[in-house]
Amino acid sequence: MVGPYVVRRMLQAIPLLFGISIIIFLMLQMAPGGPLASGEAQAAITPEKIERLRAHYGLDDPLPIQYLNWLGGLVTGDWGVSYDTGQPVLQVITERLPTTLALTGLAFAVSLLIAIPVGILAATRQYSVFDYASTGLSFAGIATPSFWFGLMLLYLFSFQWDLLPSAGLTDLREDHVGFAAVWDRTTHLIMPVAVLALIATANLARYVRASMLEVLGQDYVRTARGSGLPERTVILQHAGKNASVPVVTIAMLMVPELFLGAVITETIFSIPGMGALFVHSAELRDYPVLLGILVIAAVLVVITNLVADVIYGLLDPRISYE
Amino acid sequence: MAVALVLLLAACAGGAQAPSEVPESEKYGGTAVVAMVQEAGGMNELFHDQSGAFLGGEAGWVVEPLFLALPDGTYEPRLAAEIPTVDNGGVSRGGRTVTYRLREGITWSDGKPFTAEDLVFTFDVFRDPDSTALVPVDYELVESVTARDQLTVEVQLKEASPTYLELWKHVMPAHEFESTAVTAEHPQARLPLGTGPFVFTDFKAGDEIALERNPDYWRDPDLPYLDGITLKIVPELEVATTSFLEGQYDTVFFFTTGDLPQLEAAEESGAPIVVETQETDSWVEWLFLNHSASGDPSVPHPVLGDAAIREAIDFGIDRQGIIDTVLGGFGTLVGSPIYSGAFDVDIPPATYDPDHARQVLDEAGWEPGSDGIRVKDGVRASLMFQTVSGDHTRELYQQIIQQNLEEVGIEMNIENVPSNIIFGGYEEGGLLATGSYDTMMSRDGNYVDPASWMASFTCDSIPNEQQTVGETYGHYCNPEFDELAQQAASTLDQQERAELYSQMAQMFHDERVAIPIYSSTWGWAWNLQLQGVSPDYWSGVWPSVAEWYLAP
Repeated sequence: MVGPYVVRRMLQAIPLLFGISIIIFLMLQMAPGGPLASGEAQAAITPEKIERLRAHYGLDDPLPIQYLNWLGGLVTGDWGVSYDTGQPVLQVITERLPTTLALTGLAFAVSLLIAIPVGILAATRQYSVFDYASTGLSFAGIATPSFWFGLMLLYLFSFQWDLLPSAGLTDLREDHVGFAAVWDRTTHLIMPVAVLALIATANLARYVRASMLEVLGQDYVRTARGSGLPERTVILQHAGKNASVPVVTIAMLMVPELFLGAVITETIFSIPGMGALFVHSAELRDYPVLLGILVIAAVLVVITNLVADVIYGLLDPRISYE
Repeated sequence: MAVALVLLLAACAGGAQAPSEVPESEKYGGTAVVAMVQEAGGMNELFHDQSGAFLGGEAGWVVEPLFLALPDGTYEPRLAAEIPTVDNGGVSRGGRTVTYRLREGITWSDGKPFTAEDLVFTFDVFRDPDSTALVPVDYELVESVTARDQLTVEVQLKEASPTYLELWKHVMPAHEFESTAVTAEHPQARLPLGTGPFVFTDFKAGDEIALERNPDYWRDPDLPYLDGITLKIVPELEVATTSFLEGQYDTVFFFTTGDLPQLEAAEESGAPIVVETQETDSWVEWLFLNHSASGDPSVPHPVLGDAAIREAIDFGIDRQGIIDTVLGGFGTLVGSPIYSGAFDVDIPPATYDPDHARQVLDEAGWEPGSDGIRVKDGVRASLMFQTVSGDHTRELYQQIIQQNLEEVGIEMNIENVPSNIIFGGYEEGGLLATGSYDTMMSRDGNYVDPASWMASFTCDSIPNEQQTVGETYGHYCNPEFDELAQQAASTLDQQERAELYSQMAQMFHDERVAIPIYSSTWGWAWNLQLQGVSPDYWSGVWPSVAEWYLAP
């Protein structure tokens, strides 16, 4: 039964998340520098005021008290106030979350749409030109740093050939309506999605190929072929289902990775999502916002793991939830 | 005066680039798009200190100051009707009472009148312990503020201070607040209401900030020309610069010296942009030296405590080489700590003379060791060399300095860190505050009035466990210097102040409290499409925004 299993796993996740919360809280505090440090060549502010600000934000309380205050707020829905904007953290994050979720979702979909057919084709035509080409490209994709890839795309498509816009999600000079608006949004998303999807696609294609190869060599596949089933049915239904079990795990674990990859993509392409927010908040040591984002990321990791395990069971009845 | 004239001429030259005289009626309309590199949490400078907030404050786009600083360190009244002086009765004989007279007929952009009550309210916010406004240091000297009538404010100072023109660069509209306990959570801290030519309408975090024309701008109802301005947040300067050259943005807030060679080259090769550089000195890159051992001013630094080492560093750095090779010629040499503003003191910079540097070290008993690095009484002339990490231009000349000093026998170990580790407070373990560094490269010193800048080299500025507050550069403590700083900050006699600052600058230079590397050239660039831009103010082109228009 899946139901009780999910509930049990969720209960188990509570102490895990609790532990994670302590670690991220302490790690942020241990990093030198603090939220009230001023930058270079900035107007001097009276020292008394800095002390007052410390008190206002509760920064002069002992660490355990600060932690408990934060944890209490977290549970009751008060995630604190951003030191930077003065707005509630939940509001700051929910303003940005849809953008990043959309970007991550698109990148995930693109990865699956490319990686699965490429991986299957490469496995069924092992040692063919296509196999070598896709393997080579996958390794290149895994080895390419995304910030470099992003800057190269920008340089070529935006600055050299002037085909795609370089920043943001919409045209600032003109208001588009109808189809033009959709097209405007699409052109803004092509490069960020490509950068974000690159590593995930390359990795996934490798996994699809490997697990297909493993399955294709097994007896039941030979039996299926021997019984005269069309090759298409053998590959997609018989082999494909079993090969997908390990792929699902990897694919689900990629979701939080994509989510964190948005840090680089959003900064390069000036996209107002959680990734850009994270970088900005880290520079300012905006603890409440950073903690909020990290908590969401931790929850995402736990949830995607759980989803992967549930899908496992659905695909392979031999796996039991007892 | 000469400087102002040069700038005026430069501005005229800039204006001459317009294709032809545009008729007034065709200047109206359109929205300028400005890329903003550092996003501020809010656009109210009294609550947010990132550079972006400048456009909501001192730049005079939305909120305006009482007095606007000009490039030569003098002021022009903006919201004030006149500059208070002893002669016009604005300043009392003893200097402790200053009367500010406001201009008649000024209204906030919501139509409410701007009055003396707003100034009083702003000061009350600063005094309220429950407010989190970032109170500028200049207000520490203010005893009380009273409204004499609708347009007159009288200020009592704790002691006579010449910095009274630095007050009220930002006034808050009293009618928008219910109490003086204003915190950063207040909507006005994010998008302030002002008297200026533009009004904030929207702030999409991480994305864009929208400004609209103030239809009843008090200075001239025909201004501004633009219907609005969109500030697009572009966190990567390289991306912003390239997109700007492609014409996607009308200008960028803001370029640094390191960008100027690229911009100038683009202009020469025909990009549709105008590049303008400031004639006066701007922020100076300093090599701040730690004079004390581990934050205790009574114990001199084992290496930097020796004047010979400091002299050798001063003569050992090839500053002109840095300007020519790394900065593409954009930079000037500066020898004085007070090099701009109302009291600039002219001191020639040290020449590059490695032989002299070596000789000084030889005479002081620093003998070269087997690896060429000098040693004296078992102490190696080896220093940590830090600056804000991530600035490519800086890293380049940091290596030149490292190499220069190695040639005279001083080892510089580069170890760069993020800015808030450097500038963190004493309790947060900030490197400058706790004195946990040897040499630190940072920009500073460009002030209309040098009082607060000089104060960061006094004994009082050094924080310790009992007194954790204070902003110090160098843990330098010299009672003689303190005495001069104290006098200069409390007299109104400008002649006397000039004399005192001249003495301080000389002492600073002789003792080599910190080593100036170069003064960055401040520059701006904008698209040819944007016209009416002029760099007539202390802070550059930004205050001229009301006159900006898009070429028809």
